Amino acid sequence: MTTIAISEATAARAQIRRTKEVRAVPTLAARRLALSVRHPRSLILPVMNPVLFALVIAPALANTVASPGEQTAYMTFLALSTMGLLIPLNSLFSGIGVVVDRQQGAMRELLVAPIRRSSIVLGNLTSALVIVALQTAVLIGLSVARGANYVMSAHVAWFVVATIIFSVLMYSVAEILATRLPSAEAYTGAIPVVAIVPFFFAGSLFPITALPSWLEAVAKVLPLTHALALLRYGLTPASGAKALHNIWGMSNVTVMAVLSLGVITAFGALAFAGAIRLFKKAGTS
Amino acid sequence: MTGVAAAVAAEELVKIYPEKVRAVNGVSFAVEAGEAFGLLGPNGAGKTTTIGMLNTTVKPSSGRALLGGRDVARDPVGARSVSSVVFQDAVVDRPLTGRQNLELHLKLWGVGTAVGRRRLAELAAAVGISDILERPVATYSGGQRRRTEIVRALLSAPQVLFLDEPTVGLDTRARHDLFDVIGTLREKTGVTIIITTHYLDEAERLCDRLAIIEAGAIVASDTPANLLALIGPDVLELRADDAATAAAVLQANGVVREDVLVTGQTVTASLRATNGAKALEILEENHVPVRSATTRRSTLDDVYLRLTGGRIASPNDQNNSPERLTGQGN
Repeated sequence: MTTIAISEATAARAQIRRTKEVRAVPTLAARRLALSVRHPRSLILPVMNPVLFALVIAPALANTVASPGEQTAYMTFLALSTMGLLIPLNSLFSGIGVVVDRQQGAMRELLVAPIRRSSIVLGNLTSALVIVALQTAVLIGLSVARGANYVMSAHVAWFVVATIIFSVLMYSVAEILATRLPSAEAYTGAIPVVAIVPFFFAGSLFPITALPSWLEAVAKVLPLTHALALLRYGLTPASGAKALHNIWGMSNVTVMAVLSLGVITAFGALAFAGAIRLFKKAGTS
Repeated sequence: MTGVAAAVAAEELVKIYPEKVRAVNGVSFAVEAGEAFGLLGPNGAGKTTTIGMLNTTVKPSSGRALLGGRDVARDPVGARSVSSVVFQDAVVDRPLTGRQNLELHLKLWGVGTAVGRRRLAELAAAVGISDILERPVATYSGGQRRRTEIVRALLSAPQVLFLDEPTVGLDTRARHDLFDVIGTLREKTGVTIIITTHYLDEAERLCDRLAIIEAGAIVASDTPANLLALIGPDVLELRADDAATAAAVLQANGVVREDVLVTGQTVTASLRATNGAKALEILEENHVPVRSATTRRSTLDDVYLRLTGGRIASPNDQNNSPERLTGQGN
């Protein structure tokens, strides 16, 4: 074989390999979605609490604690807060699929496929993002029907970007837990701590300035606090601006929004890199 | 490196797990294209770890391995692209149908749609699972699931197929059906096969060559016939209160070969050019009481016993009928 022919053959193999990698992610995402559809619980359970909160608890609390002119605003405030439950819960429930794959053995077929280990994580992440998108649409739609008042403007882009990045962060955490924890029982035991506890300190039910100062400092470090502020800025700009100011104390809202986006992006990138590294290590014992 | 043109080449593979467990201790072998090569040994011998290092699910502590010319450490994706694995435990997505599982493999291995459909139809027909492809795999029997996994592994036309204990958990009929399936598919596709097993009949029936592996090392490697020739055609097993004396008497009289094994009250030995009845006569003449004695065809288990002092198979795995001899003290 001539040198040129060898180079062409090598280039052709590299191209075939790149094509395989590009196709692997949607293939794996489709697999994960197909498995989720066959277990409707995994789709319904993560959205039940947020929907209950948005449709029942938020209006009830608004009627109880808010002054008459502020009820809609408070209900809208709470309804949007439920995204702070929906994204973590959905991500962690998606991670159960990884635990099941490992325990039931299906993971090994993926590990011997001619694709990078990172593609497996990306495929699962893509599936989780699709489900978050669908459930977000359901939640927002139902809360609007119930009376929530969102502002549709160019700021919606902040909502969309923050949802995506925070979902990447939370799903990466789910992958890390699924790789590190020895059993499904241990994994499900971690869900309340990871997905629910931060909700109460992140400005979901009340501004973080209402917390004791040491807890307020903790809240400012939580990625959920920044994500929620950005989600609010996206759909309720005035409320979001206040939430961002509570974190950063600046006057320029756009700068604060960029800073918060930077925080969740940094956390997200770190978590994602960690998830892939741990998965690769676990995939080759 | 041995076997430069070989389909599979392993050189001094070692695997030490974190608890300092040395699961594989310097394994080397080469497998030619189209050959069926077996790793035969008891549970815990290092078989699965060895092929794990070849299929990139286990990272070698040292050593080198090539699959289809690709270094598994430097080019793991390339190595995986020329191989497929059928694992010991079922690794299918049970909620999905057989067809969905197979199509997933086609997509991950980058097989074109038209080619993939044709291969799927042909292979499914060859192993008799065409009728069940639209059902969820959770509804399959063990044998059906295993056949589906073998079809899946061959869809990508791999150069090398790993079968890790392929018939474990199957009943006798399903095992023998699977032997036929593997033989048929091998003739059809010419794939190189690496099998790990602790079943002697499986090793003899499916493999062109075998490596007997014990405590992470290969103790012998040859064709099944040549390995059995180490022992001879017949084996004598007898139980005596003084087994050591019985063994010594038989050796002194040239009835058995040098490698007689005494385990407790049992003597196991390859017979020389004589038979078991003659052995009993000699023992009686020398006043060595015998409780029971049998002769049987030699098996790979006897080869393993000779080489390592241990056994691969449990008594239920023996596939030949022992001939019971008249013994004193029965």
